[in-house]
Amino acid sequence: MTDSTESPDLSRRGGLTRLKEGTYGGLFAACAAITLLTTAAIFVTLLSDAVVFFRSIPIAEFLAGTNWSPNPAGGGQAFGIVPLLIGTITVTVTAAFISIPVGTLTAIYLSEYATPNARSILKPLLEILAGIPTVVYGYFALVYVTPALKATLFPEMSTFNALAASIMVGIMTIPMVSSISEDAMSAVPDELRQAGYGLGATKFEVSTGIVVPASISGIASSYILAVSRAIGETMIVVVAMGAQARMPEVQQALFGIPFVNPADVLLQSGMTITVAMVQITGGDLTGGTLPYNSMFALGLALFAVTLVMNVISDIIAQRYREEY
Amino acid sequence: MATDNANADGFGEVSRVRGIVFEYLSFGASVFGLVALGVLLVYVAIDAFDLANASPEWLLTYFLTLVVPFLAFCLYSANDRGVTRRALGALGGGLVAVAALFTAVETLVSPIPRLNWQLAYLFVVGAPATAYLAYVGSGGRVGAVGFGLLGRLVGGVAIGLAVGTLFLVFDPLLWFLAYTLGVLPAVGLYAVGRRRSTPRAQTAAAPVGLAGLIAAVVLRDVVSTYPSDLIIYLWTVAVPVAAAGGLLVAGRRGRTAAAVVAGLPLAVATAGGFLAAGAGLPAPTVLLVLVLTGVPTAAYVSRVVDAGEGLAGLGLPLLLGAGVIAGALIVEAWGVPAPDPWLDGSFLTGAPSRTPTDAGLYPAIVGSVIIIALVAVLSFALGVGTSVFLEEYTPESGPLGTLTRILQVNIANLAAVPSVVYGLLGLGLFANLLGLGIGTAVTAALTLSLLILPITIISAQEAIRSVPDDLRRGSDAMGATRWQTTKNVVLPEAMPGVLTGTILALGRAIGETAPLIMIGAATTVFRAPDSLFSRFSAMPMQIYTWAGFPQADFRYGVVAAGVITLLIILVGMNGTAILLRNRAERGS
Amino acid sequence: MSNTTSDDSLITTEVQADSNDDRAASAAETAVAARDLNVYYGDERAIDDVTMEIPEKRVTALIGPSGCGKSTFLRCINRMNDMIEICRVDGDVEFGGKNVYDTDVDPVALRRKIGMVFQKPNPFPKSIRDNVAYGLKIQGFDGDVDKRVEESLKGAALWDEVKDQLDSSGLELSGGQQQRLCIARAIAPDPEVILMDEPTSALDPVAASKIEDLIDDLAEQYTVIIVTHNMQQAARISDRTAVFLTGGELVEYDDTAKIFEDPEEQRVEDYITGKFG
Repeated sequence: MTDSTESPDLSRRGGLTRLKEGTYGGLFAACAAITLLTTAAIFVTLLSDAVVFFRSIPIAEFLAGTNWSPNPAGGGQAFGIVPLLIGTITVTVTAAFISIPVGTLTAIYLSEYATPNARSILKPLLEILAGIPTVVYGYFALVYVTPALKATLFPEMSTFNALAASIMVGIMTIPMVSSISEDAMSAVPDELRQAGYGLGATKFEVSTGIVVPASISGIASSYILAVSRAIGETMIVVVAMGAQARMPEVQQALFGIPFVNPADVLLQSGMTITVAMVQITGGDLTGGTLPYNSMFALGLALFAVTLVMNVISDIIAQRYREEY
Repeated sequence: MATDNANADGFGEVSRVRGIVFEYLSFGASVFGLVALGVLLVYVAIDAFDLANASPEWLLTYFLTLVVPFLAFCLYSANDRGVTRRALGALGGGLVAVAALFTAVETLVSPIPRLNWQLAYLFVVGAPATAYLAYVGSGGRVGAVGFGLLGRLVGGVAIGLAVGTLFLVFDPLLWFLAYTLGVLPAVGLYAVGRRRSTPRAQTAAAPVGLAGLIAAVVLRDVVSTYPSDLIIYLWTVAVPVAAAGGLLVAGRRGRTAAAVVAGLPLAVATAGGFLAAGAGLPAPTVLLVLVLTGVPTAAYVSRVVDAGEGLAGLGLPLLLGAGVIAGALIVEAWGVPAPDPWLDGSFLTGAPSRTPTDAGLYPAIVGSVIIIALVAVLSFALGVGTSVFLEEYTPESGPLGTLTRILQVNIANLAAVPSVVYGLLGLGLFANLLGLGIGTAVTAALTLSLLILPITIISAQEAIRSVPDDLRRGSDAMGATRWQTTKNVVLPEAMPGVLTGTILALGRAIGETAPLIMIGAATTVFRAPDSLFSRFSAMPMQIYTWAGFPQADFRYGVVAAGVITLLIILVGMNGTAILLRNRAERGS
Repeated sequence: MSNTTSDDSLITTEVQADSNDDRAASAAETAVAARDLNVYYGDERAIDDVTMEIPEKRVTALIGPSGCGKSTFLRCINRMNDMIEICRVDGDVEFGGKNVYDTDVDPVALRRKIGMVFQKPNPFPKSIRDNVAYGLKIQGFDGDVDKRVEESLKGAALWDEVKDQLDSSGLELSGGQQQRLCIARAIAPDPEVILMDEPTSALDPVAASKIEDLIDDLAEQYTVIIVTHNMQQAARISDRTAVFLTGGELVEYDDTAKIFEDPEEQRVEDYITGKFG
């Protein structure tokens, strides 16, 4: 025990100790900085090549062109994103027709009806759906789903088609809708439910009339996230949808309003933005060519769209967190 | 709903039809995706193992020699009359129900392709019942011992194969020098320092190790004669593993047990290695597998024997092995027509080929193992570093707090960037700008590390956040610096959670294909890669390539085998992660 | 709010016999002193201009109703309040004649000289040995660790109970044993002052009385400053008592006997007799 009459040494440690502390702190900060650098690197990489691309192909032509044939050999090249957008939207919308209703109902079941035991089994099982490698889903779509659909419902379906791919994308994104929606529904205070029951509402009325509206912003944010995931999905469509950038045939009928027969789009092969990117990699990858640069232009478009959707979903989700 | 029968006189009754329909509808929705996936998995398993051509006799033989003894083992372990009665009821009743239903559907509606009622029974009743009984059985003493032993055997083989694979790429000679000059002295110093409570020796360990590593790199090309590979593996891997096992046991059981646990597997592995060398097999791999399986198994057996409980469980691997052999003998003796599975030894050890029957996955498996090992190291280090910075080093308010929030938002957004965009990043930045090469293992590993980094960080943050603040304050009040608190208190507590999250994220990385395509990974390579900068393929890449082949044998056979291989590896990784988490939860 | 429970009054009679405050408070040197200390959480004042001198090798109790700032005061001494981002400290806290809020003072170095025991026992999830040796380890102690571990465990009256299981986890001990382990951990690096933040409030009465006995012994060697909710406890174990009332005001600070028998302030008397608080 030191004699307390003399003042204890409380000064800062010198040299080695502080250096050690500083080194570790700096090391961790550097790790954290890598995440920021990654974002910056994505921006720079995409932009630098995309800028070169847009010097040859004007943005207007890129956005409004209805023909996509990057043709690596040169000659007859066309870089119009519209057919790719149609492919992407087809897949996204069709997938949403599966993932949104199924995912929402799943969330309601898990949050309102399931026993704790059932919930503890179902929730991790559902996560498996998001954990299966997407190339495996693509293979399922190509080898099992398409033949099954062809044999039963749509005999005129082509081997590569948008429908089977979309179904698989939909199944894959179910857990995204269900888990975020369920979080939002579970966050609804029990008092609201009690109030409903107190008024003589049935469980069904409480679930659909009180819980769902109260958690609507969380649910909406989950929809946006799932759609954003579907837009960026690559392997399922690459394997199962084929690689033909097509403009659907516009038919003049039905009171003179032009319309597109959905079967034309769904049962035939098509091309999404992601497929177009993958297809170009078959050619030269060392850079400098127009098709190479077009990949980065497409990547930039994809990145921008998914980023905006995430930010929107985040803002919406913030709202429900603030409510309670 | 307790109010359901509230139709006391005079109150009337509110209709519940809509509610009940809705409840069933929502339940149906919850299982819709799972059922769809289940059906697809059944089909892919049938294709991979050629079960469609399995004769009922063949199925029955193996059911009797393999499945029934296993179920009996589980029931014996569970030791619960109720479970036994229910299990037998489900298995028996299921048999009748599935057979009847299946036949009815086939005759009344339409025949179901590539499926017969025996297979349907196997998948619909047999597999879930077996899984359930295995779960219940593992709760009993005997079962816990049996599955523990089985897990060590399988895990040891898997780790042995993976380590052997890594040595295909990393120079064993350099490792030999690095181990001898750097790792061994450093670990020795640290151990001595710990035992004698002399912190100076512990502090010296790191610089000594570093100096040794540098010396190893310098000497690598100076030294001209090296021992044979087998001796190197024996000295640098087998002996330390055996020693570590021995030390662990010595702490608990004393010298003799330790000597047996360390010496016996080491002797067996050495003998096996030299025998394999004589027989022309890859001797180092045999040695590694034997020692990495043998030591944990021996340690486990010694512990179980000491505890003296559930000894019968040790027979489980024998039971299963005997079942396989007996089944094979019966099939052979009676000439039972057997299926010809696509997923067999030659598939796992062969190179890709244009002919479906010759096609193998070996180079792609090696590629995947190497990439995943690199990704594991990179993303673990970066993930832990970032999450420690965010959770331990930055305040929540003030200007630094704003930085923290920006980092958080950025990480959340990175997690949602499509993987194909990461592929472009890898192509533009790593492959072309930094010149790491198109389609090399390094480029792939860096790209995939960045891809899973946000997931690793988020899960590591959760693990670190769950360490009680009491412990941090306790350490701070002792006068620990921030790093000391992090190193001594926070990280040890958070580690199981961090590891679980990392392994789950690695599961995502192992199945990623799109980024690999974008960085120009080879669609097919015929030889296993031998350096980090050689062209490589990976399992999902090979699956993608094969799925595009027009022959039905590829689509319905080879690819199915590849898919099943990939999924088995995934299940193994995720299973390990979940076991780790459960054990940590039980521990605390 | 009354802090008296029937459990406590039971042990009061039992312990009072050996709780003889025969250490003359006045004859001691000052170990810790606060001068014009003000502490704010954001805009809210938690400590209101406190000046007091805490004697060396005595037990000083800080009592007062919840939210009166007594824990905040305790945490100013070893600068644990630095961890709270919105907390702002104004004024001096002197330890061994040195203001601990001087810019050249390293809070980490300060905490190595001042041990702390928390309300809830918080042993690390390590072995008993490693728990006690923790402070030695982080300070790079170069002597015989095992001997120091034994001494500290004896000092915390825990040695006889755990000497055969030093390698088992500290979490396997009972609550009272865990708290004594935390005390052993705090005294192992041989600090000068030990701060205790309601160390018995999470324990059952029997375990609490053991800790109280221990605190009495600790004062032979260390300056003990203890925050307590429990007035009987303060009366039993402390030499000096400081009464804080709402708003972080130090209302009265004197020898314990004086405070409990004949307080100057009416408010203190009201508080002690349970009229408010």
